[in-house]
Amino acid sequence: MGRRFLFADRRRATLTVLGVAASLLLVLVLGGIFAGAVDRVTYYIRTSPADVSVSQDGVRTMHMSASSLPADTPERVADIPGVAWAAPIAFASGSVAGPRGRQLSYLIGYDTRTGRGGPTRLVAGRTPAAGEAVLDEQAAKQLGVQVGDQFTIMGTSLRAVGFSTGGSSITNTTVFVELSEFARIHDDRVSYVLTGLDPGADPEAVTDRIEAEVGGVTAQTREQFADSEARIVTDMSADLLRLMSSIGLVIALAVIALGLMTATLNRLRDFAVLKALGARTPRLAAAVAMQVLLTVVLASTVATTAALALAWLLPLAAPAVQISITTAAVAQTTTTALLVGLIAALWPLRRIAALDAATAFRETR
Amino acid sequence: MNTNAPTTSGNAPVPDPVLRSPGDNTPHGESTWPRVLTVRGLTKTYGAGDTTVDAVRAVDLDLAAGEVLLVMGPSGSGKTTLLLMLGALLRPSAGSITVTSRDGVDVDIAAAREKELPVLRSRTFGFIFQDYALLDALTATENIAVAANLAGTTGPAAHERARELLERVGLAHRAAARSSQMSGGEQQRVAVARALANDPPVLLADEPTANLDASRGRDLARLLRQLADEDHRSIVIVSHDDRLREIADRVLWLEDGQFRHVAALAVDPVCRMQVEPNGPHASWRGEQWWFCSDACRRAFVTQPERFTPKPASN
Repeated sequence: MGRRFLFADRRRATLTVLGVAASLLLVLVLGGIFAGAVDRVTYYIRTSPADVSVSQDGVRTMHMSASSLPADTPERVADIPGVAWAAPIAFASGSVAGPRGRQLSYLIGYDTRTGRGGPTRLVAGRTPAAGEAVLDEQAAKQLGVQVGDQFTIMGTSLRAVGFSTGGSSITNTTVFVELSEFARIHDDRVSYVLTGLDPGADPEAVTDRIEAEVGGVTAQTREQFADSEARIVTDMSADLLRLMSSIGLVIALAVIALGLMTATLNRLRDFAVLKALGARTPRLAAAVAMQVLLTVVLASTVATTAALALAWLLPLAAPAVQISITTAAVAQTTTTALLVGLIAALWPLRRIAALDAATAFRETR
Repeated sequence: MNTNAPTTSGNAPVPDPVLRSPGDNTPHGESTWPRVLTVRGLTKTYGAGDTTVDAVRAVDLDLAAGEVLLVMGPSGSGKTTLLLMLGALLRPSAGSITVTSRDGVDVDIAAAREKELPVLRSRTFGFIFQDYALLDALTATENIAVAANLAGTTGPAAHERARELLERVGLAHRAAARSSQMSGGEQQRVAVARALANDPPVLLADEPTANLDASRGRDLARLLRQLADEDHRSIVIVSHDDRLREIADRVLWLEDGQFRHVAALAVDPVCRMQVEPNGPHASWRGEQWWFCSDACRRAFVTQPERFTPKPASN
């Protein structure tokens, strides 16, 4: 009955579904952009070969942090039981410039002999040597840099010999150089030590052991490091995201409430007739709830389809923007919209509960 | 059982042998059909203090199985209030309404708890509305099936019941039609089928022919009569439609919340509507003539010969 009531006026039902879908799309895309940003920011950590990362004591992230470790830290870490290998990387932030512009960039120096800490995947070119660097392909495209071109990083001119992927986000890109080149550009610091574990070694136990035996360092598993990194984005954007999502949900609430209210007011006589025929209020409430459920499910389907299309199309226009639409996000948005819809249904439900069955006789269409 | 009530002219309320007195407990004459509805001292009072209005005053009524009772009366006389109380849609201020279900159980609707009323309504009464009141979002079959659902018959059984009833009212071919796709007569037949969905012992009809033309009104009246005769189903009709007297076993005149003797009924000689004797009137040829309105009275006094039978010549 709820289904029939909803679609009796197809134009109104379509407008309601589209209105709710638009608001859910806003929520999904905002969340997707946020999740995409987190994915990009944590991409290096999640895809690095390191099971455990070691940083200066108290430093738990790469972004917006400065970590400096004694030069012998990699050797000391390598001596810890359970550690298979330890590789230093150097990390700093600055700007990268090409013929077409300038971008903020992280500069990562790594040991090119082992490749540990370097780009996860090269999509063009080769590993850098002295005076050379690997850029993220998106940044290279935006900066107008081709393989073999010269570009500037932190005031130093380097030749691009390869392109990596996954290192550009809305705010910055990543440039990889050999450790000695990093020392030439910046300093000879060791920022982090990437650590691989022996097969079967417990990462938690090894991190505890590293912190206890090396001293003055913070050791984190890959998941802990990625979570800490993601939290930076979360902390910076959570309020804004929450506000925008709330606005989206309030719009959904208003659209559902308006749609239901209009539908209910137009059908008060029908509800009165049903009451006269013997329907109890819970049964009529179920019909209203079914309208909410169908509206939200349809709107969610439309919104998810549109969000997935946007997630595919938007990076074509703005490569730095990644929209990550996950099943969990869709489920959460739909559930929240359902709750919002049920809240919106309270007023129509009150009207129906208070409806006198006798009005079926007293009122005519 | 079903006798036409002859139309009487305005001045001389002629006792009609078919129309019985208010509260007549033997509507079928010698009929031995059991009572299905017994009403005693039914009263509905609105307001309080100086603004008290008695919409229905101490009404007694008995309805036998298979009886068609027509309740007539002027607007505001309490007809609908009475119907609502009989259908458990309105709580009486005083009195009792005892209905006997199909399985022989007597229930006093006036004393029933609020939460028992929906079940009572769905199983005991079938409602027929003036404007049909079909749910336009549903098909004819679904409209009937919904009513069956409300009494506990669900799924294919409800749809099967709906199909049977549509066949019975001659609308099997309109099973998938919505109300907007049906004529008024078809809609009212579907509404009758819906009223029968749970095989109720009593049908309550509010102006069932008001929105139908003469031909369709007659068809519906015949259908109601047929339902009463074939199923021994009792039908209470509240109406202004004089044509329904043809199918009624009994006609009661409700005025100021009370039944008045039907012998007091008269017919306006101009418009042929039933009138109450306290309304506009005029004297002609030494007789008193009653009218439904001043307009009819004026029309009458202008050309009384046009509206009255010629005196018999010796």
